Amino acid sequence: MQVVAQAQRVPAPSSVGNRWLRDAIGLALIVAAGLAGYWLFPDNLALLTRVIAVALLVLSLDLITGYCGVASLGQASLFGAGAYAAGIACVNGVTEPLTLIVIGAVAGAAAGLLMGTIMLRAHGLAQLVLSIAIVQLFHEAANKASAYTGGSDGLAGLTVSPLFGLFEFDLWGQTAYLFGLALLVVVFVVLKFIVSSPFGMLCRGIKQDPIRIRAMGSFVFPVLLKMFVISGAVAGMGGALAAISTQVVGLDSVSFELSANALVMLVLGGLGSLYGALVGTVIFMGFEHIVSAINPFHWMTMVGALLIAVVLAAPGGLSGVLETITRSARRSKGGRP
Amino acid sequence: MKVSKAILGAAIGALLTGSAMADTIKVGIIGPFSGPFALQGKNFQAGVEAYMALNGKSVKGHDIEVIYRDLPAANPAQSRALAQELVVKEKVQYLGGVYFTPDAMAITPLLKQANTPLVIFNAATSAIMTQSPLVVRTSFTTAQTTSPSGKIATERGVKKVISAVSDYGPGVDAEAAFKKAFEAAGGQVVEAIRMPLNTTDFSPIMQRVRDSGAEAVFAFLPSGPTTLGFVKAYNETGLKQAGIKFFAPGDLTQESDLPALGDGAVGLLTTFHYAVSHDSPENKKFVEAATKAVGGADQLSFPSVGAYDGMHVIYKMIEATDGKQDAQKAVDAVKGLSWTSPRGPVSIDAETRHITENIYLREVVKGPDGKTYNKEIQTFPNQKDPGLATQ
Amino acid sequence: MQTVLSIAIDAFAYGMALFIICIGLSLTMGLMRVVNLAHGAFAMIAGYIASYAARDLGLGYAAAIFLAIVGTVVISIPLERLLYRRIYGRPELTQVLMTIGITFCVIGITNYFFGPTLKTIPLPGSLSQPVDVGFKTIAAHRLFVMACGVVVAGGLWYLIEKTDFGIKLRATVDNAAMADALGVRTQVVYAVSFAIAIGLAALGGVVGAEFLPIEPYYALRYMVTFLVVVSVGGAGSIPGAVAACLLLGAVDTTGRYLMPEFGNFFFYAAVIAIVCVFPRGFFGRAQ
Repeated sequence: MQVVAQAQRVPAPSSVGNRWLRDAIGLALIVAAGLAGYWLFPDNLALLTRVIAVALLVLSLDLITGYCGVASLGQASLFGAGAYAAGIACVNGVTEPLTLIVIGAVAGAAAGLLMGTIMLRAHGLAQLVLSIAIVQLFHEAANKASAYTGGSDGLAGLTVSPLFGLFEFDLWGQTAYLFGLALLVVVFVVLKFIVSSPFGMLCRGIKQDPIRIRAMGSFVFPVLLKMFVISGAVAGMGGALAAISTQVVGLDSVSFELSANALVMLVLGGLGSLYGALVGTVIFMGFEHIVSAINPFHWMTMVGALLIAVVLAAPGGLSGVLETITRSARRSKGGRP
Repeated sequence: MKVSKAILGAAIGALLTGSAMADTIKVGIIGPFSGPFALQGKNFQAGVEAYMALNGKSVKGHDIEVIYRDLPAANPAQSRALAQELVVKEKVQYLGGVYFTPDAMAITPLLKQANTPLVIFNAATSAIMTQSPLVVRTSFTTAQTTSPSGKIATERGVKKVISAVSDYGPGVDAEAAFKKAFEAAGGQVVEAIRMPLNTTDFSPIMQRVRDSGAEAVFAFLPSGPTTLGFVKAYNETGLKQAGIKFFAPGDLTQESDLPALGDGAVGLLTTFHYAVSHDSPENKKFVEAATKAVGGADQLSFPSVGAYDGMHVIYKMIEATDGKQDAQKAVDAVKGLSWTSPRGPVSIDAETRHITENIYLREVVKGPDGKTYNKEIQTFPNQKDPGLATQ
Repeated sequence: MQTVLSIAIDAFAYGMALFIICIGLSLTMGLMRVVNLAHGAFAMIAGYIASYAARDLGLGYAAAIFLAIVGTVVISIPLERLLYRRIYGRPELTQVLMTIGITFCVIGITNYFFGPTLKTIPLPGSLSQPVDVGFKTIAAHRLFVMACGVVVAGGLWYLIEKTDFGIKLRATVDNAAMADALGVRTQVVYAVSFAIAIGLAALGGVVGAEFLPIEPYYALRYMVTFLVVVSVGGAGSIPGAVAACLLLGAVDTTGRYLMPEFGNFFFYAAVIAIVCVFPRGFFGRAQ
């Protein structure tokens, strides 16, 4: 056992190589899972597209919660900013899907800047409450500005032009799904680079001990704010994807409920690894979909039971379980001479 | 991409041929079966089951199978995903239900490609009907149920009214419809208050009502806890004793809320398309069957009748198309259709595809058994949706 | 002047109702360091018990309150032993996950057994009449709620600051290991304070039912409000909770009177302002 533990601690070159390899495998797994979803559930693509949009939201939450230690119950305000920006642009004649995604990202980033500026003034519980207050204000603003957002009736009438002028966003949702999957993969790769960059390391450092980081001469606030902006852009893209694929933007996209769900999915999957965000989203939404189809009336109890069971059995989140399994598998493999 | 086109072709093929041969016709119902609006979803189910219990589970030899999908709160993305799954995976020929407007809005763009009609059991905003020619609605619109109260108020000698509505789509619709009708009848809305949707303590609002000097208050709030709080505050702050009258659409005094409202509700005047107490043989049969389905008499409410008549429309559609999937033909077949619903005589307007129905003025009264109920005291026959008529 | 007074009294009543429900949560979060999002679920359970006792069994209001508190605490005991014990001292987000899970379960089960309709707790005649207090008429139960709030605040303050148990509790909170070493049975202290917090939730759920009606979705519908109030006051502080409830109650009520269409804006803008000025809440402990 000890030997193995030491072997794992073997320093720099090989472990960096390992990390690249691991990330490449992880990415391949995501692509494979995405394509498998496409082939196995061709009739559920709208659901799977929704899962991707929410996965982007949960990823963005992982950036600030998992990597910076800033818990937020208001992440949907960034998602909603992207969704409404894309929706309003689309209604006003900008119908090219890639442009809409960019618009969503920019709007999300701007909202992230605003939210970060406010939230980073406080810590702990107060921070959480600030995030709630912000998402409620966003929700209220979207409800009030019904001339632009459609208020509680939703912003309807989005007609998105075909992707590259060829592939339509239609009933079967193949375009939307593959588009979403490609977006997710690209975002994931970029985020992997970001979190393993010195900047990402600095964020982790701040999460563990902000005072020490400050003592080392770094400014904490601008670093975290930068992460907020990146997080906003990711969430905004998720929102824009939801708007494009649904063709309607509703007030639920800036709701506290969505924010709370995102946090639950993240914690369920495991914080601070990006994979956890994806695992959590897929498991939570998949489970919810299945049990609510089996019993549309009383499925909530089952979801609650799942959450309790996960806390009891796998307190570090589901991705933590996967890691333990792979590690012990590797261990047993390494044990054999 | 070639491959996916092949799948697409296969899917279309399956849609076109598969269903014509199938003996079982599937109907997908989307509604809030859990969450804060679970009661309304339960009423959808009660209406559907009541209809099938009374009229059989097959039409012209085609068996009908109903598939329920839960959509707990307004969530267009989920709504679209559910509709897509129902159409593509479950191969339903008809979509029904839908409680919230944005959810309906998310489904309408799919209908043409899906070759599926959507029969709305509730969602009550006028604009939905203009989104797709394949939508038929058997519920009501807020404007439709509200408008008569303008006339009623002036008839009862009220000249000045303060309106207090929840600050969301239907509330704003109700405010506008009442204002229009009331001012047309010669009254004056002295103040229009919009209240946050999540308010449960209404005493400050009542203080404003009192300060405004109006002779009556017109209110619209979503049913449930908010309504309860509003009616309670109306009683407790002494407005009722002060003789300030109360007008509202019937959402406020839906039957399932009446036990909670208790004696405080007695005397409230509401206008609506359906009261569980409606006196007709059709309604008697309906209430009996629906009560059995919902599991308790005190849980029965208006969405059940929307669902019941929605199923009637779907049955007529199946009859007209003889089980073949042809959305346009199905919708055309029910245009102008008229029948006697548990709520009274109704028909589907050929132009707007929205239901034309009687609107009743009801007063909450105490029955001989000590329970309160909505008593219909005046009828406004054959009301169309004013929101659509003006367009 | 009359208007100002009547708004003030409405605000006070609303604030006190919030206080009774929230103070239990403030204790669990501040003293036991458990983010118990299922707090509202316990208040709701109490509401259902009280409603059942008063409406179906025909018991009096006082008996219904008593039964509700006892019943809820009894229900909470196995939950505490089986579930909550596992999350004491764990990261906050894990606690959030667990307690949201519990909330979902409670909502689902309530919906299954009691149906989705609103439940009321019939008030005795003496509490249901409007009372003329000179400048306005006010429902008698509002006066009752105010009195309850004052009694609860006073009683808790006395319990925590002046009694033997209070000393042990504070010692356990400050340093559980040290308290344990000094002979304080910390497990018992935790269990008792958990029971007290649940009991307060139950009391709040029943007497506050006129403000926040009992229905299956109660636990989630008001979760945000409870969380906000507790944080603004500073978790674990009784004067803080009183101040937060009164201030937020006042902001909410006044905002709703003056500009109801921007009611939520006022409320949450006030929350942001307060949190920015007092990052630990009004009387929060340094953590």
